[in-house]
Amino acid sequence: MRVEYINPFVESAFNVMKEVLLADVKRGELYLKSTSMPVMGVAAIVGLAGDVEGRVLFDMDRPTALKIASAMNGEEITTMDDLAKATITELANMITAQAVTKLHELGFRFDLTPPAIFTGDNMEVSNQDVEALIVPMETPQGKVEINVAIRERA
Amino acid sequence: MKTKEDFPSINERVPEGQRPDGVPFRVLVVDDSMFVAKQITQILTSEGYDVVGQAADGLQGLERYKELYPNVDLVTMDITMPNMDGLTALSKIIEFDKNARVIMISALGKQDLVKQALLTGAKNYIVKPLDRKKVLERISHVLSK
Repeated sequence: MRVEYINPFVESAFNVMKEVLLADVKRGELYLKSTSMPVMGVAAIVGLAGDVEGRVLFDMDRPTALKIASAMNGEEITTMDDLAKATITELANMITAQAVTKLHELGFRFDLTPPAIFTGDNMEVSNQDVEALIVPMETPQGKVEINVAIRERA
Repeated sequence: MKTKEDFPSINERVPEGQRPDGVPFRVLVVDDSMFVAKQITQILTSEGYDVVGQAADGLQGLERYKELYPNVDLVTMDITMPNMDGLTALSKIIEFDKNARVIMISALGKQDLVKQALLTGAKNYIVKPLDRKKVLERISHVLSK
């Protein structure tokens, strides 16, 4: 997978999280996975289809998701209820929208699916025929991994 | 979103959400995201606006507008929504009330749709993530015209 696909996601995740969490966000080392990998407990997924196809996963553990939802709502949220899910979904929405704008500027044309949220234990994600690039982001609320698996349409 | 500006102001002034005579402006919030709807409602009520209705998609938004009319001053309208999108709802609201004041709420990257909305008759737009200052500025600007 070409790195130019992931950079817009990393940049926009960095910008959006800094803005909505009003905090410092640090970018970790990018790594590559071609086999299945565990999902931390709460994952928002957005699908892409067009010139490029694949998906972007925003992956975090449950305490991190709750802390992020709390920070974004300005109130303490202690269970993964509808509001918490809507908040994480909206975070994924904003990050993806900003990244896609950059990719469109680079000339890629594709559509997005509305974000979906998965919650649960012992989940894993596998990609056939496409490797995933993962960028961990450190926020004061915990770690969020941006997991991008995109390829050009054959 | 927590910001410093969420603390109440100790200075005496008429909140932006009210007319000079103290009657609040009435707003209908149309958004399929519970989070965004709540965020807009919080920002507006903290500034004295009266959120008189909420709707989770364009169709509901249109129906709510017709029910509330003429007791509604402004609509905030999300663009991407199930059942009926914000653009269709906008044009149907304007068909019903050509003086309707509708502000579009958009994610980044929807410039074409925003342009289309403005041509259809939307008065302004706000790009997410929503910033308290930006939201209040755009809304009071539209209401002052």
